[in-house]
Amino acid sequence: MRAEYMREQKRSHGRKVLAVLPIQYPKELLTAMNVLSMELWGPPGAPRGPGASRLQAYVCSVARNAVAFVQAGGAAEVDAFLYPHACDSIQGLATLIPDLGGEDKPALHYLNPKGGYRPSSRRFVAGELRRLAADLAELTGEPLSADRLSWALDLHREIDRLRARLLDGRARLDMTDSDLYAVLRRGEWLWPEDHLAELKLAASRLAPMGEVVQRGVGLLLSGIVPEPMSIFDELSSMGAYVAADDYAAVGRRVVRKQLLASEDPMDTLAWLMFAYPPCPTRSTSLGQRMDYLDRLATRSSAEGVIIHTVKFCEPELFDVAGIKERFGARGLPVLFLESELEAELSGQTITRLEAFVELLTQRRKS
Amino acid sequence: MSGVAIGVDAGSTTWKAVILDDQGQVLASRVAPAEPLVDQQTRVELARLRERTSTSSDVPVGATGYGRKRVGAQRAITEITCHARGAFHITGAGGVLVDVGGQDSKIIHMGPDGSVLDFAMNDKCAAGTGRFLEVLLGRLQVAWEDVPALVASARSAVSVSSTCTVFAESEVISLVAEGEPVEGILKGVHQSLASRVAGLAGLLPPGGAVYMSGGVALGRAMVDALAAALGRPVTVLAEPQLVGALGAALSVR
Amino acid sequence: MITRRLQYELVKRLAAPLLVQLQGASKRLKGRQGPRPGSPFGPPLKSVALLKDLMTRHYLEGRYADGAVPVAWVTSGFPVEILRALGFFSIYPENHAALCGVQRLTPELSDAAERVGHSRSLCSYARTDMGAVLLEKTPVGRLPRPDLLACCTNICQTVLYWYRCLADHFKVPLVLIDTPFVYGESQEHHQQYVRDQLEELLSVAERIGGRRHSSEELVRVARLSHEGTLLWGECLAESTNRPAPWTGFDGFFHIAPIVTLRGSEECNAYYRHLLDELRHRVRHGVGGIKEERYRLMWDNLPIWYNVRDMSTLLAENRFNIVVTTYTNAWAEAGKRMDPTDPVGSAARSYTHIILNEDLDRRLELMTRLAREYHVDGALLHSDRSCKPYSIGQVDLKDRLAREAQVRALLLEADHNDPRAYSTEQGNTRLQAFMESFA
Ligand code: SF4
Ligand code: SF4
Repeated sequence: MRAEYMREQKRSHGRKVLAVLPIQYPKELLTAMNVLSMELWGPPGAPRGPGASRLQAYVCSVARNAVAFVQAGGAAEVDAFLYPHACDSIQGLATLIPDLGGEDKPALHYLNPKGGYRPSSRRFVAGELRRLAADLAELTGEPLSADRLSWALDLHREIDRLRARLLDGRARLDMTDSDLYAVLRRGEWLWPEDHLAELKLAASRLAPMGEVVQRGVGLLLSGIVPEPMSIFDELSSMGAYVAADDYAAVGRRVVRKQLLASEDPMDTLAWLMFAYPPCPTRSTSLGQRMDYLDRLATRSSAEGVIIHTVKFCEPELFDVAGIKERFGARGLPVLFLESELEAELSGQTITRLEAFVELLTQRRKS
Repeated sequence: MSGVAIGVDAGSTTWKAVILDDQGQVLASRVAPAEPLVDQQTRVELARLRERTSTSSDVPVGATGYGRKRVGAQRAITEITCHARGAFHITGAGGVLVDVGGQDSKIIHMGPDGSVLDFAMNDKCAAGTGRFLEVLLGRLQVAWEDVPALVASARSAVSVSSTCTVFAESEVISLVAEGEPVEGILKGVHQSLASRVAGLAGLLPPGGAVYMSGGVALGRAMVDALAAALGRPVTVLAEPQLVGALGAALSVR
Repeated sequence: MITRRLQYELVKRLAAPLLVQLQGASKRLKGRQGPRPGSPFGPPLKSVALLKDLMTRHYLEGRYADGAVPVAWVTSGFPVEILRALGFFSIYPENHAALCGVQRLTPELSDAAERVGHSRSLCSYARTDMGAVLLEKTPVGRLPRPDLLACCTNICQTVLYWYRCLADHFKVPLVLIDTPFVYGESQEHHQQYVRDQLEELLSVAERIGGRRHSSEELVRVARLSHEGTLLWGECLAESTNRPAPWTGFDGFFHIAPIVTLRGSEECNAYYRHLLDELRHRVRHGVGGIKEERYRLMWDNLPIWYNVRDMSTLLAENRFNIVVTTYTNAWAEAGKRMDPTDPVGSAARSYTHIILNEDLDRRLELMTRLAREYHVDGALLHSDRSCKPYSIGQVDLKDRLAREAQVRALLLEADHNDPRAYSTEQGNTRLQAFMESFA
């Protein structure tokens, strides 16, 4: 489906397609330059094929699966790759993947500054954006126009507003988690305007303020990417739902902050790159991240927290002790679950989830 | 007197069941090696238990364990909740329950009313489970019954640093080859497993009892090693293998 | 404060050297005993005693440092010259963790970190040190409490995740030097970014250190640092000789001063001494191992808890590690340093670190080292704990064979945690690899 969609986009709209690795990148710039992004999260399932063993088994499955997928020809039709600097693993892939047999597609980079806002990093982001725009111009043969960028910024603001409404109004939304996440995650490869249309449709299912549709046990889920997606059906069957989202692939990419209006759209975009919710791959302080998670939990009245992270993902794992401590002190139970992007949840994982929901249900009663 | 509730714990290595009377006492119980067709095994075993205790076939069944959803029970509840219930039924107190089973290990923190406050389970590999012991006992060619005496006779433990079962296996082989005494290695093996389980336990709340259940709790050597690793006395629950089934029965009582 | 300062000065000036001399004297005597008969190694390096003195003294000073002088905990690749010029005492958690690793303390310390919720898949340096902090347990007696955490991402991003936890624990500021990963050549706005951050660092460090920096002092420290890395490079380069006068494993231990005391007189004095000894050995044909038949390159961190066993196994089979990408990293950095421009050249040299450059650059470097050091093969330690070093090793192994005719073995282990390494399996693979050369 993705491949067909991609071909259609190229054919009918003359768009270039960029395979994009996780996590944060200036998508507005791509949209403005008529470039479609196809994000590579996994895909789930054990890595197969000739590329499966090019990374050691103790490297995270997001990186391993990406290599296997690309080497097996999964990205044959894209025009180039973009490597945002998420972590040591992704940065390594940026030279590993281009080296795959016969691969001569351009490898573009976008380096996210680490450690939160500083004057130095603000200046750096501006430089990175300029360079990426130049690289994209080379790819598309068209320079960036300020008007198109303003348009793209507005479009993505609109998308973020809707995504925020869906996520923050989750208790009022008459949709299952798996349907909601299917919509949200299609944004990883749909042209933004198509994505927007689907979001609008979903938002029409929001009940008026004050009405509550979801009565199950509300959970805060935090991690890299919700895979396998069957986790949502399992949770529903147990009587729970996702009340708040802190997945790097989803909630952590929804900008809720009001942006300073600026004459120059490049300037606005640079500010935007600092407006994302805290993500350990960007390494704002631990305290800031905890406060943010705390607010998410409070606002959504989550009754429990599931840290659903990818095995061997150091950026996520270093924060786990802190999250446990913070929510432990507040009396909010925390379940720690490591995933390897399996195609299906293991029986043991289901048992853990179920026991956790049982625990929360029991607390509700007493 | 006949039973009023039945609990089945369909684990991956053993199948367990209890029948409770209306006082909550165990009328009859059964522990058997798990068979691949757990539904069939349950039918056959339960029919026998019912007959033994003249319990009618409409007495409700609660199930737990790996095969909980496949035995046609009225309620299926996870091992975590069931173990906590079973343990609370026995002790009437909260605390930390350590259950080391064949394939799974779990640590359950219970409130004073027996409710589950928090829990942890082992990773999917065999480190930290009964399987680790089983494999290494096999390597050392030591029978399960001989373990306590051998460990007690060890002058000191020979350190086994690997907690991974596969690595530990080759480590143990070479320790034997280097002429280290089997008792000492055996003690080391227990310490290694205990340290892994203790790691899973995380920070224990100050005070509060530590209980142990599961098949591995039947071995004194393991209980001692765990107590040492946790720095706390460890009380083994009566009939440690049946705690999960007991909890399952309580859930339908 | 005043008394603390006096105490510190006292230790630094009087007690430390005295103690060190005493200890040194006894160790030097031991050092004269020569190798055990039947040992596959050459005579032990005499400098080792001095090295121990130096490091003992460093950690002894550390015990009394907090409250007396500003203290920073610093990553190994941090441009420490700026802090040193402002009078900071610095502790290197990575070096400290390695000390613990050699003594096999990691399992116990890591357990403590795991108990509070840290995963066993975190870098074992981080687990070791976080455990040491939690248990307040260290083989060096006591670690001074930091006033500042200083982290540079040129070796990995991991240190940043780790230092964030430390910052949260100690409630002290964390300064970051974020060095953009280099694909091909470092770009001008990347260099600008690092320079900007160094300026930001200066003002934070001035505030915490309570004094203004002086340019002369900065230049003086940068000069020392530059000289130190060059000296270290010369020491390593002595191993281009046949036989190599020491082993790569010796190098792992002798790296301590260039990491922890970079930019100080003692550091350079030490390496001058070492260099003399190495040259002396070269002149007299004395090798690190008795019979050097094959020469190997090592990639990635050492397996600290297993260095002795592994080097013995290698030496017994007449294999010597003559060069390691790890120890070489500090020598490489010196090439881009320019003491007359301490900030600008720091931005350059600290960005171009092997772990901060793409795989092509790494292959180039390894190929060059293989040639310069005349190696017959390579051991690539596939270190579970160190993702940046590990990624790409499978490809590097193939390409080394194909493009540089260097046969390599990928050896999976962990640099600090013995629980993740099977000595038996490791030795078997190593043995088989060595047999393939016969
Ligand atoms: S899962 Fe974690 S380690 Fe893996 S690519 Fe994503 S951020 Fe990096
Ligand atoms: S061992 Fe690797 S991951 Fe760990 S601190 Fe050093 S460079 Fe970073």
